[in-house]
Amino acid sequence: MNASMSETVTPSAGQGRIDWALRGMPVLKAIEKRLTESGTLVGLRVGVALVLEPKTANLALALNRAGADVSVYCVGRNTDGRVASALAEAGLQVFAEEGAGDERDLELARDFLRTKPDILLDDGASLIRLAHREFPELVASMLGAAEETTSGVRPLRAMNDEGALHIPVIAVNDAKTKYLFDNVYGTGQSCVMAMLDITNLQLAGRNVVVVGYGWVGTGVAKHAAAMGARVIVTELDPIKALQALHDGYRVLSLADAAPQAEVIFAATGIAGVVTAAHVADLPSGAILCTAGGGAFELPMDYLDSTGTGRIVREAITEYTLPSGKTVQVISEGDCLNCADAEGNPIEVMDLSLSLQALAAEQIATEATSWAPGVYPISVDAENAVAVIRLRHEGATLEPLTDELTAAMRSW
Amino acid sequence: MDEIAVALPESTTTPVGDASVGQAKIEWVRRHSPVLNGFVRETLADGALAGVRIAVVVHLEAKTAFLATVLADAGAEVIVAGSNPRTTNGDVVEALRAQGLTVVAEPDGDYDSWERELLAAADYAPDYIIDDGAELTMRMAQFRPELYQRLQGVSEETTTGTSRLHAMSAAGKLPFKTLTANDARCKHLFDNKFGTGQTTVQALLNLTNRQIAGARVVVVGYGFVGRGIAQYAQAMGARTFVIEIDPVRALEAHMDGHTIGAAKDVLPTATMVVTATGGMRAIGEADFPYLRDDVVLANAGHHDLEVDVDALAAASTLTTEPRTNIVTYRLGDRDIHVLSGGALVNIAGGSGHPVEIMDLTFAVQGLGIHYLATTDLADGVHIIPKHLDDAIAAAKLASLGVTLDEVRPEQEDDSADWLEGIPSA
Repeated sequence: MNASMSETVTPSAGQGRIDWALRGMPVLKAIEKRLTESGTLVGLRVGVALVLEPKTANLALALNRAGADVSVYCVGRNTDGRVASALAEAGLQVFAEEGAGDERDLELARDFLRTKPDILLDDGASLIRLAHREFPELVASMLGAAEETTSGVRPLRAMNDEGALHIPVIAVNDAKTKYLFDNVYGTGQSCVMAMLDITNLQLAGRNVVVVGYGWVGTGVAKHAAAMGARVIVTELDPIKALQALHDGYRVLSLADAAPQAEVIFAATGIAGVVTAAHVADLPSGAILCTAGGGAFELPMDYLDSTGTGRIVREAITEYTLPSGKTVQVISEGDCLNCADAEGNPIEVMDLSLSLQALAAEQIATEATSWAPGVYPISVDAENAVAVIRLRHEGATLEPLTDELTAAMRSW
Repeated sequence: MDEIAVALPESTTTPVGDASVGQAKIEWVRRHSPVLNGFVRETLADGALAGVRIAVVVHLEAKTAFLATVLADAGAEVIVAGSNPRTTNGDVVEALRAQGLTVVAEPDGDYDSWERELLAAADYAPDYIIDDGAELTMRMAQFRPELYQRLQGVSEETTTGTSRLHAMSAAGKLPFKTLTANDARCKHLFDNKFGTGQTTVQALLNLTNRQIAGARVVVVGYGFVGRGIAQYAQAMGARTFVIEIDPVRALEAHMDGHTIGAAKDVLPTATMVVTATGGMRAIGEADFPYLRDDVVLANAGHHDLEVDVDALAAASTLTTEPRTNIVTYRLGDRDIHVLSGGALVNIAGGSGHPVEIMDLTFAVQGLGIHYLATTDLADGVHIIPKHLDDAIAAAKLASLGVTLDEVRPEQEDDSADWLEGIPSA
């Protein structure tokens, strides 16, 4: 061994983190290869409007290397400036400025749409909606779009029901290789760990209320329980509630659970699920946060109206209620894993973002003949993602033999 | 007792942080420390520590600072120093100074400045020390022998410091009484296991942005720290493997559901390896051939060389720093990542133990000093008595509103009855 042979390299902060993320993204690498070989995206303009950080940067770069002309947009509060610089250096058009305010974000969004993307990869459907409001000629020329999240798919379906959606959109979120992993393991892990990192507390022995037992709620409950919490689930759907019960959690209405709720994770994506009345019944010192959705799930207007908000620790605001009790809100009620941590882990975003790349492929090859509407991603694409990941982990699938096929068809 | 002339170091005039920010951090700790803020405070209020000079030498951040204020509120003259040059928080330092405590530590120091700080703490001629790794105790013995002779007692935090005290005692060089906090159940059953376990997994994921579900995590060493790490990793969805040389501990790990094996058998599957042996070179040159490409190595034990980073660096042909606190070494065609330079990953790459855990650990320390100050003990190494250990746990449970049962007479074993029937030998 000769130490003098060793060389030390220090990449820029943005590029180093992008390279680090790519190590955990074997599926995206395989999809990039497939797209490069097929040439499907060559010459197409693809607009990527996702949270701008190292993992999504790798999607943008992969599409670019596969021949697409890629532009990137993100709101200022979700933009990692070092990553944005690295993308600009790689030759992508970047419409994102770290820390930009609402007005500047809107200007950037409009400039981004003026690049006339053929395919739009959206998060929360905000750019799809902006295009429909302000750029009808763009909408007319677009091939289609793909949407990443539960909260984005919901308004798109509503638009479609009213005949207001004029392009085909693939609901990436509805893919099993998305919601069964990203929402459960990704958001679950990263929200619970962010809560622990931000507070420097334990969950062991604490009563944690998870509001909503959808995929995100399932993941939050699972990871909180793993950290030693006693989990209570609140749910209005009786079947989901019954699932929570069978997973070993107590099930109570939020009104019943509130007096013992030391920590609340709102995980519904629906406005106003936690009310001022619930907050009044919490034990003093209770911690409120949102997993997956946003501050609209919490009674922030009411809390702000008390005029008592003060920052007691980085990313923690304390409010004093008329009763004298206090509550602590993390990340101003915004989804804490993105607001004050690094978002979902790399491996799970490898699955989700690979689906986005396959959605772009599907739009380029098939959507030209589709009517406007919300479409699922193809089952082949879903399975392809799972198969590549399994192979990477050294797992082997059971072969489907003629005997098994016959047995499954027998009656 | 003779007065000894002490040359006190000049106090710094330039603030090293924002006292109000530090105060807010300490306040956050206070509200999550029911034992220190309740039971310990009440016990110390008997005046036994009034005017007693106590040096607190522990990682100087908000949790330690709160312990220092509790001692000061009990009337002690508290001198605060850090137990590691890289973990001192400037805001907390200023907050303590604003409350009139003496702080001899500065943030962003190095090992030289830290040595000076420890000697400065020694020069205040403490009666008692709350020590970490016996760092101040050892230095006083070596460099301030007269002040060392005046010491009344030491309460020590760690396993490493405990063995140092035993060595000094065996050599007849420990002329006062000491307590080993690490031997208290309210310390090692919680701090080592749950504290290090939780925060090591947190730091691993936070530093790498990787996923724990499906990860293949190897834990080297199955003491209390290793048990905690393996337990949390397993609960979060990792496949867990344990390397252990003690057959009884290995069997325990097996029954806990972890896969046991020799390094050559389990390392080739690992995506993450965490050392927790308390020894040196738990992952050393002999193990490098078994590491797979892209593996993440981290250390949760005392020594910075539990992962032999020096040998890795020597064997490496290319070194990169892809992210903060990650260094990648190239060995042939494999990339091996080391977190936080091999230092304790939950402290160097995280914010240390949870507040509730340190509430218990520092309760042991605070009560330990009180016990030393109020109890006649022989010179040497002692363990905190069971009734104090029990009282700490009971106080924590009481803060949670939990009440315990007591043994009813009919539940007691009948040995008294049948012993009577045995003829005396």
